Amino acid sequence: MPDLAPAVDLGAVRPYGDMLDDGLLQLSFTLPVPNSLAARRAALDLAERMGLARAEVTHVQQLVEGYTHFIVLAHCPHAIDFTAIQGDGLDIGYMSHEEVEEFAAAHVGRPIVVVGASTGTDTHSVGIDAMLNLKGFQGHSGLEAYDSFETHNLGSQVPNGALVAKAIEVGADAILVSQTVTGQDAHIRNLTELVEILEAEGRRRDVILACGGTRVSNELAKELGYDAGFSRGTYPNHLATFLVREVAARCSSES
Amino acid sequence: MLLGELTATARRLALVGLAKNTGKTVAMTTVLDELAARGRRAGVTSVGRDGEERDVLDERIVKPRIRLHPDSLVATTDLLLRTSGVEHARELETGLRTSLGRVVIARLPAGGAVEVAGPASAHDVGAVTDAMLALGAEQVLIDGALDRRAGASPAFADGVVLSTGAALHRDLDEVVRRTRSAAELLRLPVATAVGDAIRLDGRLALDGTDAEIAALLRAHPEASHIAVAGALCEPFVEQVLRAARGRALTLVVADGTRVFLTRRSRDWYARQGLTIAAQTPIDLRAITVNPLAPRSHRLDSPTLRRLVAEAVPGVPVLDVMDPGYPRTISPMPREEPTPAKRPRAPRPGTSGCASRCASR
Repeated sequence: MPDLAPAVDLGAVRPYGDMLDDGLLQLSFTLPVPNSLAARRAALDLAERMGLARAEVTHVQQLVEGYTHFIVLAHCPHAIDFTAIQGDGLDIGYMSHEEVEEFAAAHVGRPIVVVGASTGTDTHSVGIDAMLNLKGFQGHSGLEAYDSFETHNLGSQVPNGALVAKAIEVGADAILVSQTVTGQDAHIRNLTELVEILEAEGRRRDVILACGGTRVSNELAKELGYDAGFSRGTYPNHLATFLVREVAARCSSES
Repeated sequence: MLLGELTATARRLALVGLAKNTGKTVAMTTVLDELAARGRRAGVTSVGRDGEERDVLDERIVKPRIRLHPDSLVATTDLLLRTSGVEHARELETGLRTSLGRVVIARLPAGGAVEVAGPASAHDVGAVTDAMLALGAEQVLIDGALDRRAGASPAFADGVVLSTGAALHRDLDEVVRRTRSAAELLRLPVATAVGDAIRLDGRLALDGTDAEIAALLRAHPEASHIAVAGALCEPFVEQVLRAARGRALTLVVADGTRVFLTRRSRDWYARQGLTIAAQTPIDLRAITVNPLAPRSHRLDSPTLRRLVAEAVPGVPVLDVMDPGYPRTISPMPREEPTPAKRPRAPRPGTSGCASRCASR
């Protein structure tokens, strides 16, 4: 069989709807106006103001009195040069659990000590548990299941100072901090305090510092002076891949 | 007086912002412009990452980029230098790794806008700062990303500029209060007679129990000072206050960057008999204010400057975007954000508010 799939031009990537490069995308939004023909017109005008072409309303529904929800299909005229973005260190090839173990055995040769917690007033331990605990989540075991990791999960509502104290006590290679509550940017203040306490203790150079949470991006993490940030869609093997590679790189640059 | 003049004698100058969008990057650009106008060569690096085009928390805010003048030095990663597309000559490979690449020191013969991401630790930032001075920079600016302040430690910087503004809070008095608290921490009184102080190991100050701390104080009934080697966190301060039972004590830290108070101010603890002091002072050279909170509200610049100056006596307070601020050279053009609402045309008699809104 010949390969019938058309070649993707990575220099000009567009949304895919029905066929390659049609630029078709779907919007979902609510306008605070009653369900009416005028409301429909407003939705289409809005799509046009967004720079979208050939907009169609495919679904209209009144949510409550005076609020109307729309699904709009439209064509996006813009394209993104994907080749210019790739190679920015945004994506790394992730290793599976088994590959992490093999890599660690070959390049590290000792358990990687990880201390993790949900710090500050945050009571949610779901994120840190998913990454560290044996059961993990969605069928992906946490780092506790790895031979190449020694994990210390301190749970939730841990003061930043206590997390740092534990990391010093066990000689941690990495500190993982999870932030779920982000009201009024509480996560920013809390993450900043942690890295500043590490600095004040003169320990920032000694550990890999990573954070995770729904509103934590890798970019935010870097800006705060963390080594990495993990968001939605992260599985324990992603974290393990990052950690094992980072520890191996640090081992080799020391020797 | 110009910001550049106030900071000229600090060969290693740290810039600290109290929150995002308090105008730290604008302050840095101002110092760089004024250095260039005097024909002095600058070096730039950062703790964490700064200089990216868009705010990481709010994509709609287009941030002023750090534009370096011809012949400047910059310590950032090889990856960011390559993606900047700016002509550069590598002067030194520092051997320091970050997740954004290896940190190199480069000279920009023609200048340009570069995203700056220095080493992850303040200690290493200190090392690249010294390296840039050795390579011919006459002043090195250390940018503390977000509200990072580790770079302001006198171990790494000779002087500090603090940026504050409307982004902290809607309420003018609250902005002033938070600015005073932050300045108070930077300008801790210098401790005298630390010789007989109780010296603490790190763990006790970070994670000691009430009982341990009470026992420590009982074991040293005559001591008036407790020297904390690393971080002074608020839970520990509260524990000491409880255990002290009215005994006057001074907690001594290395410098003001080691203190982490979020619930109460240094003043409040002082009124309870618990003083916080530093071994080495931080030289706060100036405070810059940004009266504008992007996409939110604005405060009156002269009022904000006056109140901050009253709250932090002895430190010059400047709004470098104010029409009254003397500019040595015209500021570089900045990318204008696309406003969601059309800015209203300034009414006759108002002081050009719309143009200033657009340029921040």
